[in-house]
Amino acid sequence: MTTSVDQPANPTLRRDGELERLLPRVASGDRDALKHLYERTSAKLYGICLRIMGDEGEAQDVLQDTFTTVWTKADRVDPGKASAITWLSVLARNRAIDRLRARRAPAASLDDAEEVPSVSPSQLDVLERDEDAARLKNCLDELDERARLMIRTAFFEGASYPELARREGVPLPTMKSLIRRGLMRLRGCLER
Amino acid sequence: MSDNRENMDREALAAEHALNVLAGSEGAEARKMETRDGTFAGEVARWRGRLASLFDEVEAVLPPGDVWNKIEAVTHSGHAASNVVALRRTANRWRAMAVGMTALAASLGLVIIRQPQTAPPPVVQAQGAPLVAMLGDSDKQMKVVASWDPAGRQLVVAVAGDMPADPSHAHELWVIPAGGEPRSLGTMPPVRKMHMQLADALAQLLKQGATIAISVEPPGGSPSGKPTGPVVVSGSLDRA
Repeated sequence: MTTSVDQPANPTLRRDGELERLLPRVASGDRDALKHLYERTSAKLYGICLRIMGDEGEAQDVLQDTFTTVWTKADRVDPGKASAITWLSVLARNRAIDRLRARRAPAASLDDAEEVPSVSPSQLDVLERDEDAARLKNCLDELDERARLMIRTAFFEGASYPELARREGVPLPTMKSLIRRGLMRLRGCLER
Repeated sequence: MSDNRENMDREALAAEHALNVLAGSEGAEARKMETRDGTFAGEVARWRGRLASLFDEVEAVLPPGDVWNKIEAVTHSGHAASNVVALRRTANRWRAMAVGMTALAASLGLVIIRQPQTAPPPVVQAQGAPLVAMLGDSDKQMKVVASWDPAGRQLVVAVAGDMPADPSHAHELWVIPAGGEPRSLGTMPPVRKMHMQLADALAQLLKQGATIAISVEPPGGSPSGKPTGPVVVSGSLDRA
């Protein structure tokens, strides 16, 4: 059983200052700061992990992986570029997807678990602009329904092009051009 | 015109990479570009930020309490646990390692058996054959097995035993070509076993006689791109 909770009050993409101040402390090896960060953000991040992994046990593994990565990589966050919660959310999503893909790769059959590629530094780079956040939903709404649905599925379920094509029963190039055009239209709208 | 076209393709690739829809070689190519091309990396970062507003839709769910206990165990210093391996030196772990190695050997055996009778000459075959490096410190406190499959460009790194516990440092994996400079393969996550798909430029360095090493670095890895801390273990790649 999972319990849904409203707090931490749906941490939006706004910087709250406190989380941003915790990260340098975590980077310096302060375990209390890590615990505090966990208490404030783990429910949101667990929600993200659950949505992508679709399984409680796997989602918990990814959540654990996310925070052990934070422990060694917290110094990579540039508070001028993104809020802590956004950075953590992107990290959790990327770790979840790494795990999904590692599991499906042939080499995963050598062992049963714990075989996830390491985080590359550039994977942790996020640039957040308030105007983007405000516009994204409106711009997504302007897309064709199919493109919007595929982009959302890719985002929330971590599905790759081949998986999306298989699920929808369309050739791979069709799926690629559908999403690619959607993303470029999205960009045109965001930059208007 | 073709510049425009190129720019469009690049921007699309940045968006696709941030959305994480690219698979296989396309995904590897984008990851490679991201580490080498600052402009591309900036576009990817911007797309990550744009898409991130969708996280607002995700409902927060309270995780069970034991998740924190596991995180705390991994990050706690003064124990056998470290930021590389949260390992207890138990017979179970060693047995798991032995099972893993047997499976590995079996899979390598299969690869070799599958070589057709009309295989290319021995020298060429040697370059394409799986390679293994055994890394161990002098006290044999820790052992690492790195196995390289050139066909799939996959490096599998399995760790058993203890690494010096020090959560304020990272452990970074290197390949040192015979007579060449060390090249980073990335920092190691706190898992017992990981597999990495290497880009061409790195893949071509993993040859028989090249050294695989792990050094202690500041959190996040060496700032200079070269090893700055002590090498804890190393070993050379040889035929499996």
